[in-house]
Order: sequence, then structure tokens, then C-alpha cells
Amino acid sequence: MWKFLLPFAAFVALVVLFAFGLNPGRDIHALPSPLIGKAAPAFELTDVLDAARPVSNSGLQGQVYVLNVWATWCVPCREEHDALLAIARQHLVPIIGLNWKDQRERAKQWLEQLGNPYQAVAFDGDGRAAIDWGVYGAPETYLVDRQGRVIFKFISPMTQQVWDKEFVPRIAAARGGGA
Amino acid sequence: MSRAVHGMSAAIAAFGLALAGAAGAVTDVAPDRGVDANGQLENHALQTRFERITYQLRCLVCQNESIADSNADLAVDLRRQVRQMLVDGKSDAAIFDFMTDRYGEFVRFSPPLEPKTLLIWGAPFIMLLLGGLIVFRVVRHRSRMPLDDGPATGP
Repeated sequence: MWKFLLPFAAFVALVVLFAFGLNPGRDIHALPSPLIGKAAPAFELTDVLDAARPVSNSGLQGQVYVLNVWATWCVPCREEHDALLAIARQHLVPIIGLNWKDQRERAKQWLEQLGNPYQAVAFDGDGRAAIDWGVYGAPETYLVDRQGRVIFKFISPMTQQVWDKEFVPRIAAARGGGA
Repeated sequence: MSRAVHGMSAAIAAFGLALAGAAGAVTDVAPDRGVDANGQLENHALQTRFERITYQLRCLVCQNESIADSNADLAVDLRRQVRQMLVDGKSDAAIFDFMTDRYGEFVRFSPPLEPKTLLIWGAPFIMLLLGGLIVFRVVRHRSRMPLDDGPATGP
């Protein structure tokens, strides 16, 4: 009896292990953000377009907003820019930019040439605010609810499809639930 | 041909600009407190702790390197963060907490012993136990087999 059962149990265990481990739909590099469900880290920075104008996220309390981390040295950020412009035109939520470890002049030029989808762009030249948000590769896009909690993080270039599928329902839920 | 050369010189010029920009960016940043000209912490005890801590933190951009080994921009920033926290008198635990709060458990090369990491830490002992059990059974089984070193039966 054991001679049959033991190898069979081992076989079943391996099948389960492989089904999970070798599942092509599973991204082994995906890292869940520990920030989800927690308060969005506060930042007090200045605007990329005007060094005298402060930009902070404390003024956004009470509304759902999107924080998009980008930089001019980031090639995929260029790729997502048109999608961001289109999303901004829908005026669903304010999009705040976090310009990560960049140069003000270049960032300014980028926004002037390609268009500006952001309500405001905070300039994080030394990357300290980005560390607080757990940023490790631009572009990253965060969704913050009315209570100021991070409810979703998307790493990779934004597309209209991702926006419609991942962001729009969550925004609707955040508004419905928080009202 | 001349187009290609032109493109190349433009690329070189752009690279030069990028270098100049990078140099400019470096001078923009205020010098870190408590750090000497070689980038080492002036306090040797702190430098030793700094090295130990940064070897235990994973660089998320290049996932199999520690932030002590990596040259990625993010690793440079995180090293600076660790240095400043040490100068500010933060404990090792506070620094690890700071990192895991932001980047998740994954930044630690050696996960802390907790209920959810019990299987990781326990796995080697479970394997040892299983192996021992198998060896024990095999040995016992064989020791019960009849000895066959009696007088050889010739052909």
C-alpha cells in the first residue's frame, strides 16, 4: 500500500508546486508594494516649472488623485506620455507628477515640447521623496484615495487599457465608498 | 556616410552634455554630514555598521546585488540614506524597518524569523529530518537481511 501511495503523494505535491512555480502568468519580478492600504507619504517639494512654487500632497486630502513618477532619462516614461495626456484630457482625477532624480531644465523642456498632463509636478532632484514612496523604477503610478491612503500601484508604462481596467474601477470604488 | 558621422558626433556631444549635467547635478547636492572626502563615515564604528547593513539590503533595480555592491542610482541613494540615518544615531533595527516599510520584506537578504518565514528557516531542518529518517529505515532494513558471506559455493 505505502509503496504505491508515497510516490503518488510526492507526484501530486510536485504537480501542485510546478503549477504554481511555472505558471507563465505569474511575474516573478512583481513586488507587492508595502504601501498599499497605508497613508501616502507626505512630500514638500517645489514645482518643476517654477522653483518658487511649493508642491505638496497635503493639499490633496479629501480627493482621489494619481501620482506618476517619471524622469526625462527614463525611456518608458516617454512611451507612456501620450497615454497620460489622453487620460488627463478626461479630467477624471488630478494627476500629480513626481519628477525623479532629474534636471529641472530638461524636465521643463520635456513638458513644453510633449505637453503637460500634470496638475502639478513636484521636483525630487535628490530622490528622497521617491525613497519614501518606495520607488525603484520609473515609470510608477500610484492611486491615492480620499483618506490619503495608497490603494494601488502600477509599475510599467501607463496605457489606456491599463487605465480603463485597473484605475477607473478603483477610482469609482474609492469615490463610492468614501462619499 | 557624413550623415552617420554627424549622428555620431551628435551622440558624443549629447553624451558630453549628459556628463556635464551629471557633474552639475552632483555639485547641486549638499555634502553629506559626517562623511569624509573618500565617502567614508568619519566615525569608524559607524562605517563598520554601514558596511554590514548595506550588505544585507537588496538593490531592487538589480535584484541579486546588495546595495553595497550595486552602482545603480537607487543603490547610491539608499546608501546615502543609510549613512545619514547612522549619523543621526538610528539603530540597525530602525534602518531595516525604514527600508521594509518602503520596499517590503524583499529588500532584506536574510528575512527575520517570524511566523510567516518559519517555513523558510525551518526547511533545512525538515530536509535533514526526512533524510535521516530515510537513512535510518534503509539501514534497519538491510541489517535485518541475512548475511550472505558464508562459504562460497563453487561452480
